[in-house]
Amino acid sequence: MADTAHRSAVALNDAAADRPAARPPVTRAKRRRARRDTALAFTLLAPALVAMVTMRVVPMFSAVWQSVQQLSLSQGRTTFAGLENYRFLLTNSDFHSVLLVTLVFNLVLNPAIVVLSTALALLLSQRIPWVGLWRSLVFVPAAVPGVVVTPIWSTALQPDGLVNAVLRAVGLPAQPFLTSSSQALFSIGIMVTWGALGYWMIFIIAGLKDIPESLYEVAMLDGAGWWRRLFSITLPLLRRPMSFVLIACTVGSFLIFAPVQILTKGGPNGSTNLIMYDIYNNAYQIGDLGVGQAEVVVLMLILAVIVAIQFRLLREDSK
Amino acid sequence: MRQSRSATILLLAAAVATAMAVFLPLWWVFASSLRPGNSFVKYTSPLSWRAFIPVGGDFTNYSGLLGGEFTRGLLNSFLVAGLTILFGLAIAVPAAWALASIEFPGRGAVFAFVIVVSMIPFDTIAIPLSSLFQTWHLSDSYPGLILPALANGFAIFVLRQFFLGIPRELIDAGEVDGLGRVATLWRIVLPLSRPALIGAGMMLFLSQWQAYLWPLLIGTSPERQLAPIALANLSTLFSVNLGQILAGSFVLSIIPMVLLLFFQKQYSASLSTTGLKG
Repeated sequence: MADTAHRSAVALNDAAADRPAARPPVTRAKRRRARRDTALAFTLLAPALVAMVTMRVVPMFSAVWQSVQQLSLSQGRTTFAGLENYRFLLTNSDFHSVLLVTLVFNLVLNPAIVVLSTALALLLSQRIPWVGLWRSLVFVPAAVPGVVVTPIWSTALQPDGLVNAVLRAVGLPAQPFLTSSSQALFSIGIMVTWGALGYWMIFIIAGLKDIPESLYEVAMLDGAGWWRRLFSITLPLLRRPMSFVLIACTVGSFLIFAPVQILTKGGPNGSTNLIMYDIYNNAYQIGDLGVGQAEVVVLMLILAVIVAIQFRLLREDSK
Repeated sequence: MRQSRSATILLLAAAVATAMAVFLPLWWVFASSLRPGNSFVKYTSPLSWRAFIPVGGDFTNYSGLLGGEFTRGLLNSFLVAGLTILFGLAIAVPAAWALASIEFPGRGAVFAFVIVVSMIPFDTIAIPLSSLFQTWHLSDSYPGLILPALANGFAIFVLRQFFLGIPRELIDAGEVDGLGRVATLWRIVLPLSRPALIGAGMMLFLSQWQAYLWPLLIGTSPERQLAPIALANLSTLFSVNLGQILAGSFVLSIIPMVLLLFFQKQYSASLSTTGLKG
């Protein structure tokens, strides 16, 4: 899950505040000790730093490097291609449609997840008998691995599956879902939402718990009704957890891959050709690694912009 | 705050309806996995209560599933996730201890580096990394499956936050007794750190258990296939046995669910340290 990746704007400030305080006068023994401590610290850190550099930083640069290479099949070797792969990508109408599909998907899905998980959090933090049980039942799908959500919902959404059975039982017509170019992307959205709601709900509930009870008491003394309290106290004070969920959820949604690769292969008619699948397809199915890597770089840039916006929002908030 | 009786009933009804709507698909998967082969379809068209209460069901799908490729996948997944926890903690604990307990020049920069790197979503760099792994001769191997998950900055972060919370006197007492920093970590700090170790271990486990793109890119031969790949492959067979697929989905889901049930407290504590409260 990509979610964990975005919680640390706060931690960075923390790191800056963490600098050692002014040091006492240095004696030779102390200096020797400090040197030994530094050596020990880097020995203890070495495996982690090596892992992070080789498994995260190096591939980032290698994507950039390979995106300016071209594999020539006739000569069987790679040559420098400059920005050729980017030019190909950015003037390619298939890539335009990939970007469009990915953006539309994200612009609809992520706000929907934020609104729904907030609604769930509000409902399930009221005083209700056995509220813990209802909360757990809503959370459980979040424990289902992302790749398992796919077969579950492809079975539930097939013509004689659960969803159509329920639709028919309440007198609605059965729907084609994954096999229709107008409903396939929506169906993938349903899967993702189902697997994500309970998880994000937990963060909103945590945010709700941070709102002081006294604010509500004062508002009630002033005669503010439930809706008034919702819009004047709860939602404004939930801004921070909600914007966090929106960003984290957006980064995750840009990386959706399994449902497309397993179920639709980008179809019907390219209607579910999300960017991660298109990258995989370019790099490994079509075998044009250079173009695939250029697309990876484009994706990294998009996500960097999103994360930068998150940092800004969180910093403004903490002022 | 007082709440009228009718409001409570209304809220209860809403909560039950929502919980059921979200949970029902999963329950249906479990009930249908007890219907041999594709026979669960009988109960959804038209919809009958038997779709949710598997009377007359049996474990055919489970025995079929466990007799096939899926079992090897499951064993591989356990092996890979277990080694990831082991090596992941072995890497993260010393790093976190250095960041929490030693004052050295560059500490702030190293910590910032750990945080920034852990914000790179792994899937974005999975494809360039997989082509590097080919040149490093690591594709289609257990190290190839495990190594990328070991670079888990959040495990370091969670452990560091926990170590910072351990009372200074306890650590100083260790030094007075003549223990070095490493011995203090091993003898005094780690025995106190069970919750953080469980939390970080859960993070490492879940990152592996939920992985699909990476094992797809790297572990191609059947002997080293992980369970999610084996499950996805079931749907590409010539005759698709949906009952078995649902049984496999249930098996792959119940394992993290049980773990989360047991370690819910430690896991959510870790989530909240990496979370908003910073």
